[in-house]
Amino acid sequence: MSAAGPLFEVFFVLCAAGALAAFLVPARATPLVLSAIGSLAALIILVTSAVLLIGDGGFRVELWPVLSLGTLTLSADRFSSLFLFVSGLVFLPVSLFSAVYLLKFVTHHELRYFSVLYHALFASIVLVLIAADAISFLVAWELVSIATYLLVTYEYERDESAHAGFVMLAMSEAGTIAVAIAFIILSGTSPTLDFTGMRSNAGTAGEGLRWAVFLLSFFGFAVKAGLVPLNSWLPLAHPVAPTNVSALLSAVIVNLGIYGIVRVNFDLMPATAPSAGLIVLVIGSFSALVGILYATIQAEMKRLLAHSTIENMGIIAAGLGAAMVFLATDHEIVAGIALIAALYHLVNHSVYKALLFIGTGAVEAGTGTRDLDRLGGIVRRMPWTSGFFLVGVLSISALPPFNGFVSEWLTLQTILRSALLASTSVKIIFAIAGALLALTAGLAVTCFAKVFAMGFLGMARSKGAGQAVEAHPAMRVALGFLAATCLLLGILPTYVLPFVDRATAPFTHRSVIAALVPPFFDVTAQQQEKVPSAFLGEFHDLGAQVGNALPGRGLIVLHRGEERNPVVFAMSTFYMFFMLALLLIVTFIVFRLLTRHRTLSQGAAWDGGLRRLWPGITYTATGFSNPVRVVFQVLLRPASVADNTEAVARHFRTAIRREYTESHIVDRLVLGPPVDALGIAARVVRRMHVGNVNAYAAYVLIALLLVLIAGVGLL
Amino acid sequence: MANWVLRGLRTGIKTSPYPKRGDEAVGVSPGRPSAPLSRTNDAVAALVERCPTNAIIPHDGGVAIDHGRCVHCFRCQGDTAESGVPWESGYEWAAVPDAIARARAKLDRAFGRSLHLRFVDAGACGACVSEARQLNNPYYNLHRLGFFITPTPRNADILLIAGPISDAMGLPLRKAYEALPTPKRVVAIGTCAISGGVFGPSFACAGGAADLLPVDVVVPGCPPPPLAILHGLLTVVERKPPSPLISLPGQAGPT
Amino acid sequence: MNALKMTIPELANEVQPSTNIVDRCDARWKGQAAARLDRTGKTCRIECAGADLVALCEWLTDEEGYAFATLVVEESAKHTWLLTYVFYREATPPWVYVEITLDRHETSVPSLVGLAQGPSVDWHEREAEDLFGLSFEGHPRLGEFVLHEDWPDGVNPMRRNFDPRMRLERREAGPAWQPPTVVVAPGSFAMPVGPIFSDFAESAHFLLETVGEDVIHTIPRFFYKYRGVEKIAEGLPVDRVLLLAERFSGTAAFAHGLAFCQAVEAIDDVAVPARAGALRVLFAELERLRHHAATIAGICNSTALAIATSQAALIEEDLLRLTCEIARHRYLFGVVVPGGVTCDVTEAQCRRLETALADVADRLSNLHRMLRYSSSFLDRLEEVGFVSRGAAICYGIVGPVARASGIACDLRKLHPYAAYHSVDFAVPVERDGDGYARLRLFFHEAEQSASIVRRFVTALPEGAIRAEPVTHRAGAALAAVEAPSGAAFHWVRLREDGTVVRFRVTPPAFANWHAFHLAAENFAFQDFPIILASFGLSNAECDR
Repeated sequence: MSAAGPLFEVFFVLCAAGALAAFLVPARATPLVLSAIGSLAALIILVTSAVLLIGDGGFRVELWPVLSLGTLTLSADRFSSLFLFVSGLVFLPVSLFSAVYLLKFVTHHELRYFSVLYHALFASIVLVLIAADAISFLVAWELVSIATYLLVTYEYERDESAHAGFVMLAMSEAGTIAVAIAFIILSGTSPTLDFTGMRSNAGTAGEGLRWAVFLLSFFGFAVKAGLVPLNSWLPLAHPVAPTNVSALLSAVIVNLGIYGIVRVNFDLMPATAPSAGLIVLVIGSFSALVGILYATIQAEMKRLLAHSTIENMGIIAAGLGAAMVFLATDHEIVAGIALIAALYHLVNHSVYKALLFIGTGAVEAGTGTRDLDRLGGIVRRMPWTSGFFLVGVLSISALPPFNGFVSEWLTLQTILRSALLASTSVKIIFAIAGALLALTAGLAVTCFAKVFAMGFLGMARSKGAGQAVEAHPAMRVALGFLAATCLLLGILPTYVLPFVDRATAPFTHRSVIAALVPPFFDVTAQQQEKVPSAFLGEFHDLGAQVGNALPGRGLIVLHRGEERNPVVFAMSTFYMFFMLALLLIVTFIVFRLLTRHRTLSQGAAWDGGLRRLWPGITYTATGFSNPVRVVFQVLLRPASVADNTEAVARHFRTAIRREYTESHIVDRLVLGPPVDALGIAARVVRRMHVGNVNAYAAYVLIALLLVLIAGVGLL
Repeated sequence: MANWVLRGLRTGIKTSPYPKRGDEAVGVSPGRPSAPLSRTNDAVAALVERCPTNAIIPHDGGVAIDHGRCVHCFRCQGDTAESGVPWESGYEWAAVPDAIARARAKLDRAFGRSLHLRFVDAGACGACVSEARQLNNPYYNLHRLGFFITPTPRNADILLIAGPISDAMGLPLRKAYEALPTPKRVVAIGTCAISGGVFGPSFACAGGAADLLPVDVVVPGCPPPPLAILHGLLTVVERKPPSPLISLPGQAGPT
Repeated sequence: MNALKMTIPELANEVQPSTNIVDRCDARWKGQAAARLDRTGKTCRIECAGADLVALCEWLTDEEGYAFATLVVEESAKHTWLLTYVFYREATPPWVYVEITLDRHETSVPSLVGLAQGPSVDWHEREAEDLFGLSFEGHPRLGEFVLHEDWPDGVNPMRRNFDPRMRLERREAGPAWQPPTVVVAPGSFAMPVGPIFSDFAESAHFLLETVGEDVIHTIPRFFYKYRGVEKIAEGLPVDRVLLLAERFSGTAAFAHGLAFCQAVEAIDDVAVPARAGALRVLFAELERLRHHAATIAGICNSTALAIATSQAALIEEDLLRLTCEIARHRYLFGVVVPGGVTCDVTEAQCRRLETALADVADRLSNLHRMLRYSSSFLDRLEEVGFVSRGAAICYGIVGPVARASGIACDLRKLHPYAAYHSVDFAVPVERDGDGYARLRLFFHEAEQSASIVRRFVTALPEGAIRAEPVTHRAGAALAAVEAPSGAAFHWVRLREDGTVVRFRVTPPAFANWHAFHLAAENFAFQDFPIILASFGLSNAECDR
């Protein structure tokens, strides 16, 4: 037993203390106290998870037995620890950010209430991740759902937040019920709600039961992860939630859905046939595409980021699906790489999405708006925020050398490894999924180029943007921390992937890190592994040069194949970063040398001879993404357009009003019909309520009669 | 598409021999009045009277023609020496204004072989615009001589101005001039852009481009035919010598 | 535009029985308006009071089927205002002048823009408001039209006491100045085009209101090239004003010179010799042919069809050279004078014209045929820049643009001048109203022009080319000429000494640019140059 146990105790005590402290300090001090205790708790979680990931010991505490259903157990394996680490990584800057951000609520809202919920949320998230039996898992899961709901609807006086909260809670509850049923099925004939017991039950379960468990649990967890078609709550909840809660929603809470999917499909009940994996893969790729399409056409930053979360969850799910298929077809190494890619993407997504949400919060604080159509030009007034935001934009656009690139590249590469699979139809599905993901990656660049170009560059399109003020230092520290993490995760993946591998190795029954990040410099490892000579000939020199100076596993992410084909894919963001920096510096020096005799004169931008430029003639975010809207109009019909013309003196138009009505494809095609059907059914049922005592008496009699008939029939 | 290519090929080469040789084709230029040697005082007075734009100036026992004012109304054209001024053919009309010539005796060789130009219509009647546009057609094919049209003055070396500079175009024109990187040259084409022509100066327009900007080369004519504009551009890069803006009596005009 | 379409009477279908307009006017407007025919019998003058103006004009346009031609504002020496609203139609008499007189201090006139054909009067009223300081009651959009925002307030350059040679101190437009826009949509913005374009284009400014690639609405802005021609002309002798009339729009110099000369001839009562009349037709058609070739080249260029552009440009340059060979000047400057023309055509030149135009016609029809079979080219033109027939009537569009929208109106037929009565030719009409319809129309008209010239050169009447000079008289006259891009109306008032008191030009571009925004609605941004080119208009002609 490692130090993890006491650390967890300290963490829970801190959370409780944080919740209590809110009642002891004045309202103005609440944000600061929340921030301090939240950061401390996050730090403890970071340390705990690091201890668990690095060390060999696990953590397991058996609490008390419940009836005959088993014992309530808390346990943290390395896989849980990875999620714990991510949660800590996000909670730390979010808590910092909250210290300043929450001040805006001081006068109008009850901050004590927020503080209790915030710490309760953190505690219940940790609880979900370390629950080792169905009961504690479900209880913690419900706590997360409820805390999230209350936090999202924190500004309860707004109509849209009530609606968003309701949709979120309803979907979340449906998911919980599905997961609970899945667990009951999995507990099987020998009723045990302990995960260990379920694991052994799953091994003996029949095909039908396995499918039931897979579908129900996938449904339940997909709701949390926001996968299409269960994504409706995400774009509703994010814009109405306070920004720090939005950051937690997208960077921590959706991760729990992925946690659940992996826990069930890799740990409790590993897939034996590729079909389940294919479903996850297909749903993941479609989520990615639908998510990014809607993100691209959004102009409201938080809604845009929410749609982008759907996209990223889709990419992660696609990676998981691929891993499931590879695992079911006994390609353990590729399965391991796919799983690592998916989880690494999860880590990266959490970091850059938290960065982008906090950045959005900083922008909103500085300008008073999150509408890209009303922003613009703030890079000059908020240079720090803009710089850090740019890092987030580059990361989420999957551009090297930032972190998003590494994991998206790995995901795509493993999906391309479908060549290994025997079945042609599976190969075709993989090919389509790969194409969808590639399209997604392209659109993501468009989408976030728009965010930065329209929101931060150009001319200010509103008074607020014109008078933007730089974010508070605390916000900048939070942003800077996340931006630095993005860069580090980007250029040093080879130092992070081994830890991810340690988390996933039990699921794929072997460590694949040697096949992904080869031990160039570790001589002993080299001796243990049979390294093909062709491979060494190609890569040893390059690795050795750096390896003498730097410890660790080298700087190249590389999948090593057979002797015949030693390198399947290889990439080094570190070298890219190095070369990029070198090129920039050399170019700068050469340019300066070449032009040192020239004088530089600056003139105004060429305006075609107009009297002056004004913000109304600069491209807006909506305008920038309109071609995407038009191209995909046929496919998605993302909006209906209504033109309304006003005229005076019969012929002179004073206004042409164009209104867009957004309608999400999922709402239109998947959720719409059942909701409409329910509405019709409800109207039919409502007719029974005639308000006449005699009628109700008749209902009672008829019901009694039916029961009697049924009883007689049974007897 | 092949159809079009074939049609293009079948049309053959139409390119003007200018500037290697003179272009002898009929109708490339309307010609312009030239100054005969000497006249009686009465004839001079009659000629001066006949010109509505004061382009005919009494000079040294004859008349001088100020091409910067001539609008090609043909009213001075006559068959005999006494009844009018003879019209000379030719199109090498581009001139370097005196002020510039003094300030910069020689246009420095700042430009390489290829030049980019930006055209600004500052109230031109449309004929100058049309003639400038003809430079793009297969006959004149401006590009073969290393001149290119650029959409933005930011990339341009030469500003080509037509029109008397209407007031509303004054600001855009100045902006365009300022947007041109140095070294830059201004070529004013057409009588309007040199002297205001029949329009200016007035309440609505200036009396030519020189009122607003330093003009390096002027191309007189109403409108100057494409070859004259070409001569103007070649004058900027000193591939052709300029002509005088005012034909004095006894001076042989260019052929 | 659908709403607009329904409110517009289909004029050509309801031709009135040609009883006397004077009688009908007297019957309808007894005591309110006085109608009389002038001595030629071609013009009916109706004098009315300002209060009856709107109802009378509504009667003229909606019931009598007249179309608005021009508004002539004159300030007499006694400082009274005379406003002449000119209407025309294909009937006898073809011209109706509605005249109202205002006291010197009375500067308020009821606006006609609320009528079904209101838009055709719109720009005339805005122009008069800017230049004369008259105010048109009920007009929703006055100010900042001809004179831009830097023009000092309260200075009206067309007033008698304004000195045309005066250079005014311009005022600084306020920092908040920006053109008004009408589109209200989330994320909408405006794309500015011009005033300096990226090619050899004339100056004008267009604000394309868009939500991205789709342009919803276009706001054109003209008069960047306003040179005050009408003001400069005042007080100058006829032969000097002729220079202005020719040179304010160099690409239609002959047509405008001709219109001016015809107005002067009407005042002075000069009979133009038969040969001169024939030569005028010949030169006018030569100009039209060249203008249409240039427009076709422009349309090809706007679709980036390089070889077709070159072919059309070759035709254009060949026609310029031919014109120079026949008439001394490439743009026909200095050819037309009051009483005739200054340059004759020899027998040899006739033969030259005949063969050269046969060749041009051949090449044009060849080009047209090849364009018709280039689907990529047609895709760019079809259904682009649509102008409905109703809108064309409503806005008083003239010339090829109107004829491409199904309005068979051509002043050469409607009111034959020069020698047009002696030649039989077709007026092509297209009904589609889109860019392709206009292109077809330009080709067909060019064909007709070539054939008119070829028929004239075989049978030119003998005789003088210029009438004997006569003394000028005092008076005013309106001349109407079908310029290459449509109907041009020149109103000239002379003093006894032959100086011009008032020179009012209503060029076709003025009417057609006004309607341009109808065609530039709901299109993709890349179609804008095509729509622009398919109108074949000159800004210099509009701005004057």
